[in-house]
Amino acid sequence: MITLSDISPQSRNRVNPQLLTAAVLIFSAPVWLPAIGLYQYIGLEIAIWIIYAMGFNLLFGYTGLHSFGHGAYLGVGAYAFGLFQHNIAVNLLGGLLAAVAAAAIAGFLVALFLSHRRGLYYALLTIAFGQVFWFSAIKLRWLTGGEDGLLNIPRPPIELPGLSIDLNDNVTLYYLVAVILLAALFLLWRLDHSPFGRVLQAIRQNEMRTRFAGYDVWRFKVSAFTISAMFAGLAGGLFAMAQQSAYPDVMAVHQSGLIVMMVLVGGGLVNFWGPVYGVIIYYIARDFLGGITETWLLWYGLMFVIMVMYRPEGVAGMLHMVKGRFVKPSKLKQLGV
Amino acid sequence: MAVFEATGIHKRFGSSVVLEKIDLQFETGQISGIMGPNGAGKTTCFNVLTGRYKPDRGRIRFEDADITGLSPQQIAHRGISRSFQIMNLFDDSAVIENIMIALPQFYGDRKNIFRSAFDNEKLVGGAMAVLEQVGLSPKAWEPSKSLSYGDRRALEIGVALAANPRILFLDEPTQGLGANATLKLSNLINELRERYTIVIIEHDMNFLFDLADKISVIHWGQVIAEGSPFELRTNKWVQRSALGEVA
Amino acid sequence: MIQLLPHIFNGLTLGLLFALIALGFTLIVGVMEVINLAHGSLFALGAYFALTLIGVDPIADTAVGRWWLDQAIEIRYLTALVFAPLLAGLVGMILEICLRPTYGKAPLYGLLLTFGAALVIEEAIRVVWGSGEQYLQIPPAINGATIFLGTIFSKYKFFAAAFSALAVIGVWLFLEKTKYGAIIKAGAHDSEMVRALGYDLTKLRLFVFGFGAALAGLAGIIMVPIWGLRPHVGIDVVIPAFLIIALGGVGSFEGAIVASLLVGLAVGITGAYASAWSMMSMYILLILVLGFRARGLFGKASALEN
Repeated sequence: MITLSDISPQSRNRVNPQLLTAAVLIFSAPVWLPAIGLYQYIGLEIAIWIIYAMGFNLLFGYTGLHSFGHGAYLGVGAYAFGLFQHNIAVNLLGGLLAAVAAAAIAGFLVALFLSHRRGLYYALLTIAFGQVFWFSAIKLRWLTGGEDGLLNIPRPPIELPGLSIDLNDNVTLYYLVAVILLAALFLLWRLDHSPFGRVLQAIRQNEMRTRFAGYDVWRFKVSAFTISAMFAGLAGGLFAMAQQSAYPDVMAVHQSGLIVMMVLVGGGLVNFWGPVYGVIIYYIARDFLGGITETWLLWYGLMFVIMVMYRPEGVAGMLHMVKGRFVKPSKLKQLGV
Repeated sequence: MAVFEATGIHKRFGSSVVLEKIDLQFETGQISGIMGPNGAGKTTCFNVLTGRYKPDRGRIRFEDADITGLSPQQIAHRGISRSFQIMNLFDDSAVIENIMIALPQFYGDRKNIFRSAFDNEKLVGGAMAVLEQVGLSPKAWEPSKSLSYGDRRALEIGVALAANPRILFLDEPTQGLGANATLKLSNLINELRERYTIVIIEHDMNFLFDLADKISVIHWGQVIAEGSPFELRTNKWVQRSALGEVA
Repeated sequence: MIQLLPHIFNGLTLGLLFALIALGFTLIVGVMEVINLAHGSLFALGAYFALTLIGVDPIADTAVGRWWLDQAIEIRYLTALVFAPLLAGLVGMILEICLRPTYGKAPLYGLLLTFGAALVIEEAIRVVWGSGEQYLQIPPAINGATIFLGTIFSKYKFFAAAFSALAVIGVWLFLEKTKYGAIIKAGAHDSEMVRALGYDLTKLRLFVFGFGAALAGLAGIIMVPIWGLRPHVGIDVVIPAFLIIALGGVGSFEGAIVASLLVGLAVGITGAYASAWSMMSMYILLILVLGFRARGLFGKASALEN
């Protein structure tokens, strides 16, 4: 089987061609999205979900910690953004910072509890905590607005000296999200390849050995969870802006499971870019298949099941193998594929 | 005075006592061997000495400091490094990454979240130097899961060496190796003896008799004999126990 | 205290029902070390099969259909109680066959596969039976209300609790007192022994998964008259089952039963004081217990921790 290190190369070039390609594609999206029969809002949603999925994969794919309740931190971010706008000030930066900070605190506290655990019990506790957040979001009506959620969250303008950019248009908001997405991708790329990121990957492969190499594994697990919750919170804040509301549904275990599915289908277990493919495939499937048949989720689920059975390395893994078949068969043999 | 000293180590799992009362001393610059029949408690002893298990009674001292009950990572920071009997590599990673992560410089850089580890010439150079020592530098960029069994052993020792330890514990290094690979390993350890204090657990007695300065024999959870390989060959206790046929 | 008694009773009843739900789940986890996230969907599926067996919707207008509907509800209900779990068991066996490529890999893959299967089954239910709430007919003898401890209880709850207790005891006797039970318990942990006894491990897994799925289906039939029948009842149910297993300790039958009763009590008693938060109490209970006991109340070391 292929693994993360096989595909993610030991990159030495500082300006990464893949990141550049991503930048070009991201910034030109509003131009070509309508041309391929899509609409602007889906670009917005995909971009936000990629931030979420990429941050999630730092934990899931790189550190090998299987969280099944990550929607909670997206939700916390969304609520924090909305509450900030409603109760403190209508301010973009403040709202986004509040979203990240709230998710960081929630993630950190949960990680303190989780990080002594491994494997199944870890996954289980993430579900339990996810449910606690979801349940609280529904029941704390005075704070969260209950099942309806927070409504009428404004989209505060970008305030620059002498310039104010209104974000009520989806394309303008998309460009803001695109900038943030690109920054997030760059940050995560460096993070995953930095010494810190290498230690996380070492923990995935062999927690005990990492400990005997002198690393305080617990701290690294707490950090990974907190960082990944922060990205979820950031995505949540942006999502609250896109939807102009925040509601408990994104925190349900169903939704947390969907992000796991996206990351796996895309190939997050074997490649940095896996979650990107996964999110795009999911949304395209939802819109194209969803247009044809009501039961698109059935087909998506079936595809997922078959993938887990025969191609758990996901789309990224398959692309890699196809590439290998045409380019360097010797390298492929070396990888044991 | 011994650089590493364990006194009165007692360890039980539930109701079964694995280590009754173990006393061991290891001297600076020497190769010390621990041997004994299967099930004698060698590996448990090793795990207690290197911090994987806490002893129920007894003290462990290293360089005049009490290290009893410290966590594995704290013990690693004191300069104690170990290899594993069941090979415990980072299988997904390239050979060089396995070494890199164990380097003290890498540890110092562990909170760096921004600069790519492979951009750092010091890290790459440091890892290559260790690979040189264990004879794996030509295979540095290969995935570690593609290595031969003998090379994996060497890498296992390399990972332990990378931490620049003051004392090196090797757990059954010849396990599963053929005659050729064992000879190679023996040469490797002989080269290392000038720079490191080494403790080896081993059931292959010829291997230990060739290498060690001092050997302790563990049986029934106790040290039943101790001395130079020469002394042990003539020791009645050892001859009478299961090990006798070698002497 | 007196006011609390009905709530304690209610909680214990609920605990017994949870035990019935967790039964098949714990069997599959214990023997196969697979977390079957589709357990809840098989639960729902069992109930939907029963719905069709009792009401024969698709052929209600044919001669056979009319003849069947003329039979007493007791007969139709009992037929459903026997055959619907068997059908759920068949679906479980198909799922086990799909799981085979994941054996020997990290437990994550079994978890993911059954999660996908849960999604597929739920969507399939929507296609076949529609998205709306449905009602499972039950015989009048176990319908209606009765007064107990000065509070009104539904008769059906008594029946369901008693049925659950019998099912739990039955499965326990099967595991402890029969040859097949011994083989199942040896199961995946000791495949050597299973082979030495002359049994095929492949068949054993197929059977255990089928049996676990059938128990899920049975639980579904018993539970939905209380909880209602909708496609996503599966997700609503699998999470508590999941928590109960973790609370009791993976692989421990006794642990699962004790945990079920504890969760039932926690939910029942919280319900007395803050009914809106009653379902939350089980998550808090789990977090507290796992915070202090890594492997739950009765757990042993398991491959699932890696």
